[in-house]
Amino acid sequence: MNLLFKLQSIDRRILYVLIAVVLAVPLLKRPSKHPDNVFPEVRNAYNVIDSVPKGKIVLLSCSWGAGTKAENEPQLDALMRHMFQKHIKFVVFSWDAAGSEITYQSAKRIQDDMHAKYGVDWAHLGYKTGATNAIISGMGENFQKVMGQDRFGVKLSKLPAVSFVKNYKQIGAVVDITSVSLMGYWISYLTTPKNIPLIYCPTAVMSAGAYQYLDSGQLRGMLNGVMGAVQYETLIGRGHARTDAAATSWALSAAHIFIILLIVLGNLGYLAAKRAGIHTGGPRVG
Amino acid sequence: MDKSLVNSITIWAAALCTLAIYSVLYKENKFYRFFEHIFIGLYGGYGVYITWHEILYPKWWQPMVGGQWWWIFAAVIGSMFYFMYSSKHAWISRVIFGLFMGFAAGGTFREFYETYWPQMASSMKPIAGTVPNIINVVVFYVILLAAMSYFFFSFEHKSVAIKSTAAAGRWFLMIGFGAMFGATVMGRMTLFIGRLNFLLNQWVPEVQSDIQYPWFQITSLIALLVLIAVGIFYIIRNRRYAKRAKEET
Repeated sequence: MNLLFKLQSIDRRILYVLIAVVLAVPLLKRPSKHPDNVFPEVRNAYNVIDSVPKGKIVLLSCSWGAGTKAENEPQLDALMRHMFQKHIKFVVFSWDAAGSEITYQSAKRIQDDMHAKYGVDWAHLGYKTGATNAIISGMGENFQKVMGQDRFGVKLSKLPAVSFVKNYKQIGAVVDITSVSLMGYWISYLTTPKNIPLIYCPTAVMSAGAYQYLDSGQLRGMLNGVMGAVQYETLIGRGHARTDAAATSWALSAAHIFIILLIVLGNLGYLAAKRAGIHTGGPRVG
Repeated sequence: MDKSLVNSITIWAAALCTLAIYSVLYKENKFYRFFEHIFIGLYGGYGVYITWHEILYPKWWQPMVGGQWWWIFAAVIGSMFYFMYSSKHAWISRVIFGLFMGFAAGGTFREFYETYWPQMASSMKPIAGTVPNIINVVVFYVILLAAMSYFFFSFEHKSVAIKSTAAAGRWFLMIGFGAMFGATVMGRMTLFIGRLNFLLNQWVPEVQSDIQYPWFQITSLIALLVLIAVGIFYIIRNRRYAKRAKEET
């Protein structure tokens, strides 16, 4: 019984260490097995990208930085690999100052891995800031003028990957990879008015708030944090690759089981204390 | 500089920063504070650089010095914001603030229409089709009406029907928030996994490869001695403070 009481007052630092140990095992072992079950929203996202016609481009809007790299980078990775496989041209740009460099480094690594060519298969348009609604709206009207040049200062008209894009008619899909959500701007100023499919790739924290947009058709697909990314990897034929996303998904599952176990043990301790007539914890508020 | 050396320094710096930031999990400390300030400073400085390099220089400065002199007015309009610091000329900043507030308000109207109208329309689902679909739609309506009734403040919830529906609505909302919090735990855990993955699969192999070099052994020894010295200094200082506090009381 004493042990059950103590379960309610374990030093949080011991719990941190235990969590770290639980997470470390799959990260060191790096299993290649991906989940067999793919959520419908992830499959829809795959279908949208897969059906982008020739002569159209995909916009990868990145509003994330170092803080959420672990969640958003696997999403960018999976989507870029799919587009390289299918020879779909795309551009990446960042709304986050530090994210501009981080997304370029990530994209360059994937480009080298897939033997693709910068400027021909894809381009990075650098950092964008200012009135987001005006920039997004302007992209649909005059893409070349609003976006101007890539991150190296090369005019877009000189890059085969993007030189043919004049306005929204050459945009096949928009992907919002984000930790802050620009979804509202995309929906209001480009994707809904011009009937362009929008795919949302948020961090897991934000994903629960996006289902009504999927229900209404304003979003055509979603990659829910790293779990969405690992499911997307299954769809693009990387179901047995030892990727960071796969290791992360295993570590996440292990952590969730561990947290559930702690919740059960903590509640058992609470019930035991209650039965013994011992008051534990603080007063009930509200 | 040698590419592998640059890579090595980068990994060591990243590991040091990661460990410093996570040291707050043990307790609040100066090591953590120091690195937190470094991060904030770096981010601010980098933001200034990249805004000039990728936005202001190509889109404003170059056209202006290249003959499009009228871009100078952008600087004039932009500088109007700074009059907010002058009590005498604050009205100048209010002109530009008013302009931007109007711009934002107009945008909000449009965003509301485009964002919520389709959702309202999609909430009107037909109770038809297959049995699972009908059950799905009925569950949707029950939860929708219950959750909405909870936020119905036009009159007091005295009627049993309204009271119980609102109570059910609160339960549904709690379940929704629980799902959101579950996703939050998943997100936070993923961020930690990202750093742990870096430490285990990049930094540890780097330590294993560096340990053979004499420069690494000497640097590690010096760092260890400095750490021990700092530790001893803090222990002595804390004891002295404790002793002084005891004497004063």
